[in-house]
Amino acid sequence: MPIAGCGKPSPPSSGDGGTPGDGGTTQPCSRAPTAAELQNNPEVQSALHQAWTDSQAGDPAKRHEEGGWIYQNTTTGKISVRRAPAGAQASLDLSHPPTLDGSVVVGKFHTHPNPTSEGWNPGPSPGDIRVDALHGVPDLIQADDGVHVSGPDSRRGGPGGGPGYPP
Amino acid sequence: MREESVERGHSRPTITCDEALKTAQVDAERAYRDLSSYRICVTLEHDGWHVDYELKNVATQGGGPHYVIDSVSGRIVTKRYEQ
Repeated sequence: MPIAGCGKPSPPSSGDGGTPGDGGTTQPCSRAPTAAELQNNPEVQSALHQAWTDSQAGDPAKRHEEGGWIYQNTTTGKISVRRAPAGAQASLDLSHPPTLDGSVVVGKFHTHPNPTSEGWNPGPSPGDIRVDALHGVPDLIQADDGVHVSGPDSRRGGPGGGPGYPP
Repeated sequence: MREESVERGHSRPTITCDEALKTAQVDAERAYRDLSSYRICVTLEHDGWHVDYELKNVATQGGGPHYVIDSVSGRIVTKRYEQ
């Protein structure tokens, strides 16, 4: 599902006889999605759900962090997701997003599988907050008490600046 | 150096740095299983020994355990598990 604000066909020019939507050109994305928009995106929701399942939060001996990156196609606005290699019990490396042609990184996500009932902080750690500010995209964190958000509200500087994290 | 950082007026610690670290390590290993990716910082502050586990790779998401250990009794005063 694309994010509103890009990928919509432009109205055909007057006199060309076309109907709206059949002859226009697509508009490049003018803005990056917000953290709230990402949270409401079905692709992202599915990825968070799968990452949580893969984290094996219910197994004290195997629980570990999972996560990945969220991309926006700069022409169509379509959101897609790529997973990162599995992390450790309380850490994960999201510093090297793969490049997707025509897309930029607009977010990332990871899990906090360790239980609040055993005294674990479910929200972003000071390390998360520092790295998320450096990477410049929203970070959705799935924990046992819900989804926490860290980092900027949307990709720093908008969808320009290259395919990886923003400059 | 560590003794110099003790606030004036507070009791001289009876728990050594190594003893505080051992207390923290037992709890941290139980909670985190593998601590090989963390470096450990131990400092004596006015409220006790602070034992902080920080990720060696600062580019990774995540966190470690953090403790304040009473410098007289050796008991854990506070602990925080970051992830």
